[in-house]
Amino acid sequence: MKLNERSVAHYALSNSPADHTGFLRTWGGPGTPSTHSGTGRRCWFVLKGNLLFSFESREGRAPLGLVVLEGCTVELAEAPVPEEFAFAVRFDAPGVRPYLLAADGPAAQEAWVKALSRASFGYMRLVVRELESQLRDARQSLALHRHSSMKVVTSRKPHAADHLPWGLENGHRLSRDRSPTGLVEEGGSRLAGRGLAECELQGPASLLGRGQSPVSPETSCFSTLHDWYGQEILELRRGWLQRTQESQPECEKQDRP
Amino acid sequence: MRYNEKELQALSRQPAELAAELGMRAPKKGSVVKRRLVKLVVNFLFYFRTDEAEPVGALLLEHCRVTQEEPTSFSISFVEDPERKYHFECCSEEQCQQWMGALRGASYEFMRRSLIFYRNEIQKMTGKDPLEQFGISEEARFQLSGLKA
Repeated sequence: MKLNERSVAHYALSNSPADHTGFLRTWGGPGTPSTHSGTGRRCWFVLKGNLLFSFESREGRAPLGLVVLEGCTVELAEAPVPEEFAFAVRFDAPGVRPYLLAADGPAAQEAWVKALSRASFGYMRLVVRELESQLRDARQSLALHRHSSMKVVTSRKPHAADHLPWGLENGHRLSRDRSPTGLVEEGGSRLAGRGLAECELQGPASLLGRGQSPVSPETSCFSTLHDWYGQEILELRRGWLQRTQESQPECEKQDRP
Repeated sequence: MRYNEKELQALSRQPAELAAELGMRAPKKGSVVKRRLVKLVVNFLFYFRTDEAEPVGALLLEHCRVTQEEPTSFSISFVEDPERKYHFECCSEEQCQQWMGALRGASYEFMRRSLIFYRNEIQKMTGKDPLEQFGISEEARFQLSGLKA
């Protein structure tokens, strides 16, 4: 199977942020000869998003190996060498052997296990969706708060989601009663249970996945940003118009003796 | 660079964000348009011969550019060699737009940017860090400082 390896290697070395880096010992891991005993081999590892790259050294200019951290679980494990702090990346797929890795100390081990178990695209997407819905709620409650503080009763509550750029673009709306703790539960069980990544992948297409966010690389244009930041103004204006409409009849009465 | 093909094959069997039979032309000179089943799974685009179960290849969609070429066709290129383009031909303008939108939102780096944007917006509006309640506010992947300006 082909892979755009040059682009992948370029991405590995690019200045986009690394999520975790450090030396790990590996036994038959990515890019290393298969020696499942002995001291293994010490390599420099770089975690970027859902990709784990290994390098000969910190200065290595070409990745030795790549592990795609999807559909896997990370567990503590026994290393062939007792003093090592080992862990294994296991794949729920036939014929994919687990990668055995070991850190220098317990703190490094914990940090790696944590970072690797949260590396999947699904996890990132879950957090993004949660924040999407939180921002929507925050906008809505802010709008409502302003309306109520002006003592205006609106017959139709403006729905914040109607004004967000991603709106109902693809017909999906996050359920409104979704408790914020849902994230913790889902995120927590992800760490423990294998196969959960699959569930996440089966979820509805991301609201974001349509390139409608103002931070899309394509939308650095002013009009998008203007629309985005103008939503608050539109809210205010809508409230103001409603108030004027409601108060108009009274004004007319007063004006006419 | 070594990677386990079986690992990628397993990923290619996962449910897709988007999948369709499209015309595809590789960047190699003189290559022709072939019918391929194209499947978007997380930040990988897999392509299959229409009668085979295992993919012919995969494209990691980080640092890529999606460009409309004609009303019904688009291309994917990567920053290190923008002239090297993978061409895709769709059946309709609508399908073309749908694919371009999905591909542009499919990178991990795009997700990360979106997350930081939302985090900042929420913090500005409510004065609270939305990630704090989940105990993940310290995570490297959610930090603004991690992003180069």
